[in-house]
Amino acid sequence: MTNHWNDLQHTDCALIIGANPAENHVISFRWLTKARENGGKIISVDPRFTRTSSQADVYASLRSGTDIPFVGGMIKYALDNNLIHKEYVANYTNASFIVKEGYEFKDGLFSGYDEAKRSYDKTKWALESNPDGTPVKDMTLEHPRSVFQLMKKHYSRYDVDTVTAVTGTPKEDYLNVCKTFCATGKAGKSGTIMYAMGATQHTVGSQNVRIYAILQLLLGNIGIPGGGINAMRGESNVQGSTDFGLLYDNLTGYLASPKATVPEHATLAGYLAKETPVSGYWSNKPKFVVSLLKAWYGSNATKDNEFGYHFLPKGNKNYSHINLFKTMYDGGLDGAFFFGTNPVVGGPNAGKEKEALGKLKWLVAIDLWETESSAFWQKAAGSNPADIKTEVFLLPASASFEKEGSISNSSRWMQYRWKAIDSRGEARPDLDIIHELATKLKKLYAGSSKSADKPFLALDWNYGTGDVPDIDLVAKEINGYDLTTGKLLPGFGALKDDGTTSSGNWIYSGFYPEEGKNKSKNRDNKDTGGHHYLNWSFAWPMNRRIIYNRASADANGNPWSKEKAVIWWDSLQNKWVGNDVPDFKADTAPAAPGGTGAFMMNKDGVALLFAPTLNDGPFPEHYEPYESPMPNAFSSQEINPAITLFEGDFNKRGFKSDYPIVATTYRVSEHWQSGTMTRNQEWLSELAGHMFVEISEELAKEKGIKNKDKIVVTSARGEIEAYAMVTKRYKPFKVRGKQVHQIGMPWHFGFKGYATGATANRLTPHIGDANTMIPEYKAFLCDVRRA
Amino acid sequence: MTKYMKYVDVTKCDGCRACMVACKNWNDLPADPQDFQGSVQSHPKVSADTWNVMQYIEHENGKGDLEYLFRHSACFHCTDAACEKVCPENAISYTKYGTVVIDHDKCVGCGYCVQNCPFEVISLKEYVDKNGDKYRKSQKCTMCTDRLEEGLQPACVTTCHTGSLEFGEETAMLKKAEQRVQEIKGRFPNAQVYNPQGVGGTHTIYVLAEKPSVYGLPENPKVPTSAVVWKDYAQPIGKMMLGATTMALVGAFVTNNIISRKNKDQDGGQGHE
Repeated sequence: MTNHWNDLQHTDCALIIGANPAENHVISFRWLTKARENGGKIISVDPRFTRTSSQADVYASLRSGTDIPFVGGMIKYALDNNLIHKEYVANYTNASFIVKEGYEFKDGLFSGYDEAKRSYDKTKWALESNPDGTPVKDMTLEHPRSVFQLMKKHYSRYDVDTVTAVTGTPKEDYLNVCKTFCATGKAGKSGTIMYAMGATQHTVGSQNVRIYAILQLLLGNIGIPGGGINAMRGESNVQGSTDFGLLYDNLTGYLASPKATVPEHATLAGYLAKETPVSGYWSNKPKFVVSLLKAWYGSNATKDNEFGYHFLPKGNKNYSHINLFKTMYDGGLDGAFFFGTNPVVGGPNAGKEKEALGKLKWLVAIDLWETESSAFWQKAAGSNPADIKTEVFLLPASASFEKEGSISNSSRWMQYRWKAIDSRGEARPDLDIIHELATKLKKLYAGSSKSADKPFLALDWNYGTGDVPDIDLVAKEINGYDLTTGKLLPGFGALKDDGTTSSGNWIYSGFYPEEGKNKSKNRDNKDTGGHHYLNWSFAWPMNRRIIYNRASADANGNPWSKEKAVIWWDSLQNKWVGNDVPDFKADTAPAAPGGTGAFMMNKDGVALLFAPTLNDGPFPEHYEPYESPMPNAFSSQEINPAITLFEGDFNKRGFKSDYPIVATTYRVSEHWQSGTMTRNQEWLSELAGHMFVEISEELAKEKGIKNKDKIVVTSARGEIEAYAMVTKRYKPFKVRGKQVHQIGMPWHFGFKGYATGATANRLTPHIGDANTMIPEYKAFLCDVRRA
Repeated sequence: MTKYMKYVDVTKCDGCRACMVACKNWNDLPADPQDFQGSVQSHPKVSADTWNVMQYIEHENGKGDLEYLFRHSACFHCTDAACEKVCPENAISYTKYGTVVIDHDKCVGCGYCVQNCPFEVISLKEYVDKNGDKYRKSQKCTMCTDRLEEGLQPACVTTCHTGSLEFGEETAMLKKAEQRVQEIKGRFPNAQVYNPQGVGGTHTIYVLAEKPSVYGLPENPKVPTSAVVWKDYAQPIGKMMLGATTMALVGAFVTNNIISRKNKDQDGGQGHE
């Protein structure tokens, strides 16, 4: 989130799209209810009328997979009706920048496309720069090759009639959404966009989020209270896990993993030269990387050995979930560790993922319960145990309240938690398990001269003696030390690239600035102003609660409005002041060089309406999902031209002739992800105890299905049986003159626990987004019949 | 003595069901899994082991728009409680807070309260004692009277995150309810306070978005006349003259008449899907 949960109460309008927070991020409604009491509006955009929709002032349906047309049309509406915050756009975005000649967009393809490789040459999307490296600008935004004009042209194709014909949204509802949300373009008003997996789990997932961000920038809604682009995280610590490098292509703190396929990445100097921009805050990247290497390799990281950079693995493949399972399926992996993961329920095309597990020699599952994945070899899973050669180890893990540590929520708040009760039986915290594994392996490898073993031996593993690590030492390592004095660092501003500082995760540096002051333990619930509660926990970076808050003030440093003020320039004190920690250099005056660079992480200090960095285009463009009931109305490119296609048996593709119905998956309040934590809990299982499929009354009638009937849902990957929940909350879509049905189902169920049922992911495809490889769980084709 | 009320604003409820789990947790009630109900509703109604149930109703309003309505349903804690009136063992009584509670040491499991409750929110449960003998007890929401005694609020209220549930002084809650109805009339023209006077008012009051019947609630619930006759006249005199056992038989006769009448009187309030 750019903003935070409590801040939702300040919004004048919440556009909830690709999310159902009333059911899946329930606590948000505490704050949205307050916002409504203050006159704020809620818009719910969803294929299904959800509990969120029931709480909304405006509901608009859309067919799954059509967010880009929906929001593209809103951009056009805002531009056509002059509802944008023009001064904000001119100053704080790259709207005024000039795109180099040669850039073009034709019939769904941007310039630089290589059909054979299914990828773009992004240098064809470059921006013009002056001899000194600064961008060429036209502050009038009139230049035909200015980002603003190109954007206007791009979305001129997204007129209301075309959009609603594709999304299936009733026109009146659509215009109501446009009018209601675009009213937040005025200074003094703010609108927030709240999204979740309904936005991201698409082959255009990254671009879905991008187009939300573009709309928010045009309306001047980033950096202000009640504004922002707010990803609601689906797990209590998923924010923490991505911050800490759990994504396959990241080290910690969003530093790119070095790759063997990038020649420059062979050396640290080459990596830093390639990955470090010349300006913007990321120009400090060498300090973050070197300090990280010092944290990981300690005294084994020296200037002479490039701080141990060569110890880092440099893969030559894409290690995303789908690719890993494809490799496993093809017999390319010997073993796997599953820490609290359950792909036999949660993975796409889960039947194939289950088969893939049988190709492993060994599997170590670390979990609170035996899951469908660690039990994949059992008869209940449909397997014949005699045929499975995989050796499975199950290590019991402690639950969150049985261990100490921190989690980071969607608001970026790192909150420390203390142990409430002892673990049962032999269960142990994950950290203990990893620690013991590392120390034992280190002993086993000791003295080895094999080059493959060296990176492991070089790891600086000093978290106390004994089987249980000192978690406080882990916390301090994350914050980082001044290695010369041995003192904790005050923040990432003190990091150096010469090996004299360490930090395990630069974005968190500053949460533990001195002995005894772990700020994630802060629990002062007094409002310090603006409902930011600055002394409750620690928000990265540097306890800033609304990031990009420099944009809440105009170029001169005065708030755009009194109502939405966060920080402002105090010329008497010569610094930025306000109710939040400035997300800006505190003493850089508005008139000083870089004084208006509100988006200081970026090279030129501006937000990117035109982003020449994504794999599938500088502007979000609509492509149909991998499986779609209709041709693309916007171009002859049916699907995202930059996604990786997996041919063959591993991923069968369905077509509308056999599978005419659109399907999507979602969660219910009572179950968490693959249900391991909740389907083993009786009180939650009784509340949501049955696998169901929601279908409209119209589809039910067509298929002769009555409420509570058992039905079979089929896709190109498999079939499942479940109860029919016939509901008025799904309505058939009218899409380009034809009726299209959509159904939806929860994906929590499996054969373990109190609440059991068919696994929805048996139906979903193995296809991922062009940038992140997140699977397209949210739009696929199926058919339905009575069981 | 100040009376208290649970205030339920259904229009602020997002149907999260934390109230159901909090209730089971505080009252240590076992899970009571049901067959698939055809909607996300977990239980058809409250039961001996499930003292509050979230109702989910798909309703097309007067304008033809779809409303998805939720209601936290539980004992109403009537001011003139039929259950209290018909109990032959005086096991049901009013507390100083205005709540209606069952004394399980006195309850003999006769079920008159179950049969007479105009809201159908009391249930019987069969238990087996350590000798293997079966016995029955009535069960329902206690409004967490044990918590009230400790200065705490009911568990469902404490856990409610949207402010849909509140607990407070009677007059304040009634005022709040009236005000809230005015606020939401624009969106819900049929919005009303549900605090039926036929039972002397209740200690769980609702701000409903629609007519009571949309929620399956009786429009004008009353304490059955025969129950009044029973409690206020027959029982005191009868007990004096005939002793408790005979009176229980008389009670059964009275109750059976009430049930047959009630079945005829069903007022079409079962409209939810």
